[in-house]
Amino acid sequence: MQPVGDLTEGRPPEPAAAPGRRTRRTAEIAFLVLLVALPLLSNDTFLIDRFGRYFLFAVFAISVDLIWGYGGMFTFGHAAFFGGGGYLVAMLTTRTGSFLPVPFWIALPLAVAAAAVLALAMSYFVFSGREALRGVEFAVVTLAVAVLAERLTNAGGAVTGGQNGILMQTRLGIPGVISLHRGYGFYALTGILLVAAYLGVQRFIRSRPGLVLRGIRDNEDRIDLLGYDVAQVKRRAFVLSGALAALAGALFHVHEGIVSPGAVGVSSSTLVLLWVVLGGRGTLLGPVVGALLLPHLTASLSGTLLDTWLVVVGVILVAVITLLPAGLLGFLGKEPEP
Amino acid sequence: MKKRHVLAIAVVLALLAGACGNDDGTATEPIKIGIIADLTGAFTTYGTSLSRSAQLAVDEVNAAGGIDGRQVEVIVEDIQSDVTVTVDKARKLVESDHVDLVMGPIGSDANDAAFQTVVQEGGTLLFYTETYEGGKCDERYFSFGAVPAQQIRPLIPVLQEQYGPKAMLFGADYVWPHRSFEIAKPIIEENGGTVVAELYLPLVAEDFTELVRQVRDTQPDYIFALYPAVWGAALKALDDAGLLDDIGIGTIFLGDPDFAGIADLAEGDYTALPFFTVAAGDGVQPFLDAFAAKYGEGEIPSGGEGVGAYDAVYLYKQAVEKAGTTDPAAVAEALVGLSYDGPTGPVTMTPSHHLRQTINLVQAQGGEYMLVDSFPDQDPEEACNP
Repeated sequence: MQPVGDLTEGRPPEPAAAPGRRTRRTAEIAFLVLLVALPLLSNDTFLIDRFGRYFLFAVFAISVDLIWGYGGMFTFGHAAFFGGGGYLVAMLTTRTGSFLPVPFWIALPLAVAAAAVLALAMSYFVFSGREALRGVEFAVVTLAVAVLAERLTNAGGAVTGGQNGILMQTRLGIPGVISLHRGYGFYALTGILLVAAYLGVQRFIRSRPGLVLRGIRDNEDRIDLLGYDVAQVKRRAFVLSGALAALAGALFHVHEGIVSPGAVGVSSSTLVLLWVVLGGRGTLLGPVVGALLLPHLTASLSGTLLDTWLVVVGVILVAVITLLPAGLLGFLGKEPEP
Repeated sequence: MKKRHVLAIAVVLALLAGACGNDDGTATEPIKIGIIADLTGAFTTYGTSLSRSAQLAVDEVNAAGGIDGRQVEVIVEDIQSDVTVTVDKARKLVESDHVDLVMGPIGSDANDAAFQTVVQEGGTLLFYTETYEGGKCDERYFSFGAVPAQQIRPLIPVLQEQYGPKAMLFGADYVWPHRSFEIAKPIIEENGGTVVAELYLPLVAEDFTELVRQVRDTQPDYIFALYPAVWGAALKALDDAGLLDDIGIGTIFLGDPDFAGIADLAEGDYTALPFFTVAAGDGVQPFLDAFAAKYGEGEIPSGGEGVGAYDAVYLYKQAVEKAGTTDPAAVAEALVGLSYDGPTGPVTMTPSHHLRQTINLVQAQGGEYMLVDSFPDQDPEEACNP
């Protein structure tokens, strides 16, 4: 039995003349054009490569926006998935043991699956039953996970490489056929992943469970009382988010050639929150833009304004958040409600 | 709503534009040195010292006519005490700026990352100037900081003479302490001592009960400690347990700036490093004066990475002039065997690509470091055959 009329629609109706959606479509197309145009306009291989890494940051930001922006689950520990994906691939491809090492193309899906299982296990602890955690409680648990992950990797001895982490020689691409490890190839690989992740998550958000997820964000008790399985929807979003973060993180760290404890820690986890806030939480495209702009700005300024760049970045952040509390792309608004 | 729209788009464009302008169209072909330095984050003290000392040397070299008549341009990148940023900045310097030499970083995980990025991937020279565990070998990698054998050989006999033969090894659980203690053990035995305890705690431990317990149980005469991140906390725990007065302590990491913060607790302790403000050598005071003149009164280079970076620039100058080119392989070959009279005395690049240099030993007395002795020509005893 379905409770309320509007929610029984399989997906939210497409409002034909909703200005919000048209603006969003325009912004998305503009972004896509920029994404394709950048490598055509620039011949700086390093810059192209650098934007390739930012695309993986953007996928990470999408994964956070999914649960925080759309699900209201504030996370302080998502780098445990992003860095964790890196660690899993690093361990699977470099450590020797019974079935190890495995080639990268086997390690990658294994790492993503492991992250999904971890997210699923966490979900059962935090979202289910009468002890279900919300808001600050959930944030504290995620914080604990990040701290734990950083400690574990630090104390992992030969398994995790301790403080020094793990170096990787894996190269992205097909040996002898095509290299996607650096420069334009890497840009193409991550650009396609970004577009796919964006469309995939958008599809989820616009689907029926996605609608319920947004309902949970706005009023969890009401959705619960209406008879929806709140825990199940949260679980789905969290598992999708964790797997996506791990996928981006695995590729990112292979491209880096190294993964070390900082990757899974609290500071990496808070950095992604800044990207999401700067771009506009709950706008999907906003966090993507935030994850490209802020790292690019930081990287450029920290090589030019050596003594003052932290202050400059801080002032810009404060200014944007004060003047545009909804974020740079906050004008896109939330996903149109039915 | 409309206004915000425009504002938002303006901000996005301004950020993009502001962040994109790093073209340089120099025609005179200066020699480029890239510095990956931790100017913010956990290693700020050391990264700043490294970057400032290197720039001081470059200023002097430029004022004296440059390297082989070419001016030297320094490009400093703040790596923020972060491995990921290190990789990005190192790649930027090598691939985008096409530097001839990369200097830095501080952390040993960042050193691993820089080694892979600069040397293995980029084929560029990497000069590491921080005190570290040693053992890194490559044709294009050179270490200008101290390595364990250099510091441990002078330190151990003094500790044993002062306090007795029973040693405890206490370190943070990572590569530097582990390898240092492996090198220390035979040196302790050669000097007639014994290791009664060996303990590793996490890099930033919150609980030192195990340290206190082991000290109580094994009654060492002295602790040889390599616990850099929160050394004050460990000393505090020993002090609270009433153990600090009876026991000698020697370290190979506590440079002037770090010591200043915990001088009370570190009273009587010995430290061996390439550089202190009280270090021996005719060049020390001029180095300190030049540093203060450039960066302000009271500014000092820290324990080893500063003087290491300063020496490194001068040795690089010699090597390029000897090789007649900045080609990495040729410079690397020319560098081996070169000597230079640095602030703390003569330094020589050994075939292992680690620096033979003077080590200074100090003791904390009345809240200040006092020079105990200086040990010229300490052999790094590294076994690289690049």
